[in-house]
Amino acid sequence: MVNVTWKIARRSNAQLPLAIVLALAVVLVLLGKAEGGLFDRARMRVTDWMQPLLSSLYAPVAGFNRWMGSTDELFRVYQENLALKDENARLRQWRNLAVVMEGRAKRYQALLHAVPDPGLNSVLAHVIGRASRPFLQTMVLDAGNSHGVKPGEAVVDASGMIGRIYLAGNHTSWVILLTDLNSRIPVSIATGNGRSLQAIMTGDNSAMPLLDTLSQIVTLHEGDQVVSSGDGGLLPPGLAIGSLVKTSDGFRVALLANAASSEDVEVLGFRKAPDALPDVSDAQLPAVAAGLQPAPPPAARTTVPPVAMPLPPQAATPPGAAAASVPSKPLDPNAVQPDGNE
Amino acid sequence: MGASDHVGSLMTGRIFSALVPFLCGVLGVILTNMPLSLGGGLVPAPLLGLIPIYFWCLVRPDLMTPAVTFAIGILQDILGGGPPGIWTLGFVLAYAVVSRQRDVFAGLSGPGAVLGFATAALITCATGFIVMTLLYHMPPLGPLVGELAMTALFYIPGAYVLGAIHRHLVGPLRSDV
Repeated sequence: MVNVTWKIARRSNAQLPLAIVLALAVVLVLLGKAEGGLFDRARMRVTDWMQPLLSSLYAPVAGFNRWMGSTDELFRVYQENLALKDENARLRQWRNLAVVMEGRAKRYQALLHAVPDPGLNSVLAHVIGRASRPFLQTMVLDAGNSHGVKPGEAVVDASGMIGRIYLAGNHTSWVILLTDLNSRIPVSIATGNGRSLQAIMTGDNSAMPLLDTLSQIVTLHEGDQVVSSGDGGLLPPGLAIGSLVKTSDGFRVALLANAASSEDVEVLGFRKAPDALPDVSDAQLPAVAAGLQPAPPPAARTTVPPVAMPLPPQAATPPGAAAASVPSKPLDPNAVQPDGNE
Repeated sequence: MGASDHVGSLMTGRIFSALVPFLCGVLGVILTNMPLSLGGGLVPAPLLGLIPIYFWCLVRPDLMTPAVTFAIGILQDILGGGPPGIWTLGFVLAYAVVSRQRDVFAGLSGPGAVLGFATAALITCATGFIVMTLLYHMPPLGPLVGELAMTALFYIPGAYVLGAIHRHLVGPLRSDV
């Protein structure tokens, strides 16, 4: 009897907090939509704090996964060995060709004075965790801000690109995999006829990402190579990603790297270098080219203290108008007066 | 003096017993979100944080309040890495449905009890799917169904462990209520 009375009283009191908490949860979802990185800092602190534990726990789990994989491979080791020998012979031919082509490309670049590719600095990291959840496919690395890892950088292994850094803490970082639902990468597809097509590769939590924003008139073929395009300047161009595979819902990308088995990866630090300004000689200055005397260097003008004068409203002219008002007679550097008049 | 000691230990015991469901939820969330996937991600992680919510919502709802459910949900969102708030809303909605139909759910036993919990897990996963579809983009159903199945499967050992904790820890400390 006592229990029933207590239960009824509690239930009626619990309705109000439940409604408030429900409203708070809805607000949290909407806030999360507006501010995607709401929990990022807390998430990284927890991962940093758990790094030693994760490192020690991951070794037996990785061993178990390797053992699971090896039992599957045991039954087809002979066929795989034959296929590998065949592939190795073909790759040696390709390697020879690549060495020749690399030398030729360097000669052409030297002849054309081509701007060299920006250098990449990389950080070697170990995978200390990986998770596959309905809304996120990720792996955790044991390198973070203190090692120079920054969000947005590409993560590759020996086979090709795996993903990019999503969050970087002090000692750990999270990688968003190419297969993840939220992954969007600008790619370039090298077609057989020597052309390259631009597209966006979109993850959908399946093993093979989709290709988006492709032109309707292009013709693709199975086996066409997909590399990063470098558009946007976040990722280096030319990173090997995979090859095209035709499926029932269009072309997908069979990835070269297997994120599930990667143990050691490289984080590529890439910042597109700003285009260097060409050296300009005095003869190329517009004033000299027009037959005028060049203006003196700014240091010569500082001998006269400037006078602060409020500009009239009509003085605030656009740059084009100011250039049009250049006097037609030769400029005399010694004729500069404190008030700016000749 | 003896009486005050007794009251003090009683209060400590009550506070500790009130914390046990929350701590079990926290432990479940931490275990769920350890980034250690077996079988190369083939086995999805179950939502272990939902098991204490469901269990104590039926057995002792005064120990599993909406605020505690909300806190466990936020922790799941922080550690889970998905869009913020999705699991919080899913947990709170499941809690709301279960607490409103508490007599029905509490009357289930055997396979029915597992189905009851599977209903709560379904509400949570469906909430996540709907919110994700409405606010972001439609996620594939396969991983979500896998997570739902694993969560329902883990309820059997989970309820056994929580039952033992409740009988040996929470029950004796709250026997005066």
